Amino acid sequence: MIEFMEKWHGRTVFGASLLVALALLAGCTSTTIDEFRQGETGIASDEAVVILGRRQASDYETRSEFVQCVGDRMARGEGAINVVPEQEFVDAMFPWFEPRTAPLRTRDLEQLMAENVVAEKMSEFGIRYIVWLDGFTETTERGGSISCTIGPGGGGCFGFGTWEDDANFDARVWDVGSLTNVGTINTDATGQSYLPALVVPIPLIARVEANACSRLATQLKDFVNGS
Amino acid sequence: MSSRKFRIPLAALLGLAFLVGCGVSTVTIEGSFPTPNISKLPLNVAVYYDQSLRDFAYMEYSETGAEEFNVQSGQSHIALFNAVLPAMFDDVVVIDSLDDAVAAEVDAVFTPLIEEFQLALPMKTKLDVYEVWIKYNMRLATAEGDYIADWVLTSYGKTPTETFRSTEAAINDAAVVALRDLASSFSLSFSQVPEVRDWLAQL
Repeated sequence: MIEFMEKWHGRTVFGASLLVALALLAGCTSTTIDEFRQGETGIASDEAVVILGRRQASDYETRSEFVQCVGDRMARGEGAINVVPEQEFVDAMFPWFEPRTAPLRTRDLEQLMAENVVAEKMSEFGIRYIVWLDGFTETTERGGSISCTIGPGGGGCFGFGTWEDDANFDARVWDVGSLTNVGTINTDATGQSYLPALVVPIPLIARVEANACSRLATQLKDFVNGS
Repeated sequence: MSSRKFRIPLAALLGLAFLVGCGVSTVTIEGSFPTPNISKLPLNVAVYYDQSLRDFAYMEYSETGAEEFNVQSGQSHIALFNAVLPAMFDDVVVIDSLDDAVAAEVDAVFTPLIEEFQLALPMKTKLDVYEVWIKYNMRLATAEGDYIADWVLTSYGKTPTETFRSTEAAINDAAVVALRDLASSFSLSFSQVPEVRDWLAQL
């Protein structure tokens, strides 16, 4: 009986240690930020920023949830900036910022601003900077296997799964006042997720995209504020 | 006795679930379309929605040839044109028959038609996007029925796959993007169509 208890205790400790180790590993997301400044920046309290996702690529598009996440984080905390929601801006500017018609270069923005309706709307919103976000999160290096069974006496899953997420996003900042590109910020975040299953699957997910969003928003906020 | 009582409804439920799983899924495209911010042309235009546009539906077949998705987009196209045309022209009237155009005293009659509709699903293309591609034939004639212009427009919409979204919702989202694409290219390119440009220069 004592021998059984020791074995059981040993297994529990081993399982718990494994879970803690995996949880610690899952928390390890590495994020790299590169900033390239091409001009002076700064923003007044009555001015705003709009963050737009690029959707011209054929095989992916920048998710609106990521765009919203960056906008929400820029709009709060120290040095918060007025951020116009993407959909509100695109609808108000319709049809000038649709995937087919959106300006790809600052030269195109210059032509667009020559349209009175566009310039008036831009002024109504108080837009000082347009931030173009382009990128996606890719899942690679999937490994392991999990099998689940169900029977009259109950069910359960056994196995182990793992994968790596890589989020890579570029943010180009256009100054609507000078109609120039004032800088580019690149964020690259990677992290390993694990899914051990001992009767019940326990997801240990690396928050790769959330980290990319948080770091990019902080960097963008500083960049726009000119600090 | 009580076991038999439950056996028949259970079998019926299983049968129904099986039938539902095998049946065609109808997707009626629904979305809201903003009014374009463009300069209006000083024209009175009548728009005629042909019955083929009003009832337009596309059937997507599975790889085994079974009916899979019935995409109904006729009414959403009408809603789109009803939002776009009043922003493009001074006055717009909808006519029920081409014969009503003269009585409406309009400068031109516009007739949009759908020529082709294509749907690309991730399970077939192996891409992480749902895609909709639509080809249109746009016709512009005088109130008396004389030819002004006849041109082809294409629109494209895509939406990425998401874990907790149904295929039906994804098809709807991709179609709404395609409809917005139609509205943007139609409203911005209308006066650049060579025949339309020549006609506008004569007015």
